[in-house]
Amino acid sequence: MRCLTRWLMLWGMAGVPACLVPNATLAADTELRIGAATTSITPDQPIALDGQFHTRISKGVDNPITATAVAIEARQDGQSVDQAVLVSCDLVAIRPPLLSATRRRLAEKLPEVDARKVIFTATHTHTSGVTEEGKYEIPREGVMHPSQFAAFLVERLEELIGNAWRQRWPGGVSWGLGHAVVGYNRRAVYANGSAAMYGKTDRADFRGIEGYEDHGLELLFFWHDARQPPLAVAVNVACPSQEVESGSRINADFWHDVRQQFQTGDHQNTLVLGWPAAAGDQSPHRMYRKAAEERMLKLRGLSYPQEVARRIVGGINDVCPLVRSDVRTAVPFVHKVEDVALPVRKVTEREAAAAQAEIDALTKKGDTSRRRLWHQKAVDRYRTQDKQPTLSVEVHALRIGNVAIVTNPFELFLDYGVQMQARSKAVQTFVLQLTNGSSGYLPTERAVKGGSYSAVVASN
Amino acid sequence: MNAKKPNSMVVTIVLLLALGWSDRSARTAELWIGAATADITPDRPLPLTGGSSVRIAREVLSRLTANVLALESRDGQRSLDQAILVSCDLCVIRPGIQEGFRKHLAGRLPGFDLNKLFLAATHTHDAPVLQQDRYDEKDYGDAMQPKEYVPWLYQRMGAAVVKAWESRAAGAVAWGLGHAVAGHNRRVVYSDGTAKMHGNTDDPQFRQIEGYEDHAMHVLCFYDSQKRLKATAMTLACTAQCASGTKVSADFWHDVRRLIHERHGENVCVLGFCAAAGDQTPRPQFSRKSQQRMEDFRGLTYTQEIGRRIASTFEDVSGVIAKDIRTDVPLMHRVRQVELPTRIVTDDEYAVAQKVCAEIDGRTTPKKTDRWTRNLYGLVAERYRAQQKGDWKTYDMELHVLRLGDVAIATNPFELFVDYGVQIEARSPAVQTFLIQLAAGGRQPAYYLPTPRAVAAGALNDQPFTNYSATVMTNIVGPKGGQVLVDRTVETIQVLWKKH
Repeated sequence: MRCLTRWLMLWGMAGVPACLVPNATLAADTELRIGAATTSITPDQPIALDGQFHTRISKGVDNPITATAVAIEARQDGQSVDQAVLVSCDLVAIRPPLLSATRRRLAEKLPEVDARKVIFTATHTHTSGVTEEGKYEIPREGVMHPSQFAAFLVERLEELIGNAWRQRWPGGVSWGLGHAVVGYNRRAVYANGSAAMYGKTDRADFRGIEGYEDHGLELLFFWHDARQPPLAVAVNVACPSQEVESGSRINADFWHDVRQQFQTGDHQNTLVLGWPAAAGDQSPHRMYRKAAEERMLKLRGLSYPQEVARRIVGGINDVCPLVRSDVRTAVPFVHKVEDVALPVRKVTEREAAAAQAEIDALTKKGDTSRRRLWHQKAVDRYRTQDKQPTLSVEVHALRIGNVAIVTNPFELFLDYGVQMQARSKAVQTFVLQLTNGSSGYLPTERAVKGGSYSAVVASN
Repeated sequence: MNAKKPNSMVVTIVLLLALGWSDRSARTAELWIGAATADITPDRPLPLTGGSSVRIAREVLSRLTANVLALESRDGQRSLDQAILVSCDLCVIRPGIQEGFRKHLAGRLPGFDLNKLFLAATHTHDAPVLQQDRYDEKDYGDAMQPKEYVPWLYQRMGAAVVKAWESRAAGAVAWGLGHAVAGHNRRVVYSDGTAKMHGNTDDPQFRQIEGYEDHAMHVLCFYDSQKRLKATAMTLACTAQCASGTKVSADFWHDVRRLIHERHGENVCVLGFCAAAGDQTPRPQFSRKSQQRMEDFRGLTYTQEIGRRIASTFEDVSGVIAKDIRTDVPLMHRVRQVELPTRIVTDDEYAVAQKVCAEIDGRTTPKKTDRWTRNLYGLVAERYRAQQKGDWKTYDMELHVLRLGDVAIATNPFELFVDYGVQIEARSPAVQTFLIQLAAGGRQPAYYLPTPRAVAAGALNDQPFTNYSATVMTNIVGPKGGQVLVDRTVETIQVLWKKH
């Protein structure tokens, strides 16, 4: 795993710890101007849903998919010195074409916003739209095509960011740590050393869950006036929102229920940014104890997304009153963006041959799912990896007060997030995966040894 | 991990015969419940256990208790099955303690089979030493000697057991699952593959936390005939070791009890159990600064904070399961002796143990930790010699498995790594499987029972804390025996769920 070690070294060199050192010259206190807005990104036509191998055309809307933004401008001596716009989107991923199209639009329509300093994060709902052509076979008629949905999104996102930016006003931030048992490690390990994503755990050769789970709930509150309810709260949880992932209706998954349960009473106007932390090996699906969980749901009269939301909202409501007394209006604010070149995982000759054999078999069967493309990626990389040995990824690091926010475009296995949090000098470190790009899973060494979907070359 | 897999049908038949299977107790029957609490805190200075040297406590931070739950299923006047569970604010049920307690109770519980009583420790490290020779006797000073404390403990606990059994009356039960972030995996893995208990995670070589964490909390609530809460039993994968100071303390279970008593009355008996948690502890291995900051906001100690989380989950779950209180549930209790293969001491490990013992024996100025260290390494050497002669190749474990409605309860005497608990729960046919470690300790010490990945993270050397919890020094039983423990436990649960 030399590549991972190098990646971590690069991560360190990318400035994360350096810019987070409290006494760094760039970390002088700044006044904050904060704005927030939200918008629906729910199309009024059927769309193809992203995230599974097979094509699914939406058959209706269970609940709205949304995008929510918080714009922050740091000012010193009346001058703007830095900025960030944090955008959470109910999408499976931020595909590169969508990212670049949105940034082009922002550059054109909102030049006061540095498009490079906008952080787009996907919640990973698998019941939102496809934004990239060519991934699925989609009927020609009666469906909003990915390029159309992407164009619609670009427009909505530009409006959203403009609204948040224009509404910024002197404000403050506060932060706190809560807990919510939401994400479960989804990789089961067996006696022969193999692993399986969502593998059966009631087998006699089941030996354990591959790795860790993190039930910390990192919370960042934004305020215009600490006497009033918060303007917004960003919630960083090591779990992608994919409980209803196999459905065929538009659905924001548990983040919809979080919004619904949280935005009541005093918090009815408080916006919620859902941020997945490093969670490539996590999901809300239960790996065991399913009967007990199911029984508790019935007794509570809740669906599982509602139950997840109950836990998250319980965590927010527990922390919010505590940190309300510690709203900071003048804090260090630093936002760094870098493109980091990471060594790619090399596809071996054997792996390439196996992938080609899978493609041939699927073609022969007339398979029209995305599975062929998934294998094709491994074959293509085998051909290009000597000439293109690295992958460039966009990485952001922010310091806001004693909070660090770091981003990556992967489904990053939890252990990497734990490393960052453990080694960070910040009091709280928010790790945002699936941000500003879509680079697949980034597994651990132990996962690569165990194999299975999220830890094989086609996924990495 | 390479134990031969027996034919499952043969295993089932043998088990049915061995367990004297009868479906008598599987019938719906009346559940009789008794509960009582004993204060097991003497008002004298106490030597505290759990560390490599003895600490003398002259103050009490929170009082130690033993909490007793007596259960009997009855068909009219006929007793169908029974159990007495005792949760003790002790570090470990040391060898011989449970056996001695059963002897102490002989003749005092008419109609009760004493083999159906078990003791379990919460693992507080601020409780008294139970073995006279655990530390150097002169270090106990003026404190109450273990040989004095144990009979006193038996008196106190014995009175509570008798009270619980004699006061049993028809009642009801409910069960539920909640979550409380209390236990954290404490084994930190580095780039060279080594692991360290409570290792530094702010290290460029840090790679991962070794294994899983389990934040489930199983709750059983027991009610009187008017459905008023009488007792509760909870288990979670977390040892009660937030504190570890020089004051007597029941650790977070004290705070749990205080909060439950405030809400539900002083008479509610609270039994705190520890599920499989050999690699868990309440202390997080990272995010400590943010954790500390939140404690400061709340004005709580970390011990109190863990108590708050557990009590809060209890409130949440007990409120929900009050909708499903049962009076006519099956109670079945099976007690088995299970032979587990021991971890075999290698020649190299024997050599290390011999060397350490010789060094300590030859020391003119002993260190405070010498007795503790000598005991552990000495036992390694003793086991090696015995194993060379063909002895000490198995560990005789007392296994209790209960069925109470849709809940299975299963014990083990180890500090059992969480992966084994996950296996048992995942393979169990019960709706909820309530595991209790550090329970029903026998004549031999049990210590930790580690996973293969933990064992692979470092061999025994002359530093006792190298890969502590996963070397032969603190493992009487290793992964091979762990797998047998899982399989035998699951098989026994399956028998209790078999339809007749």
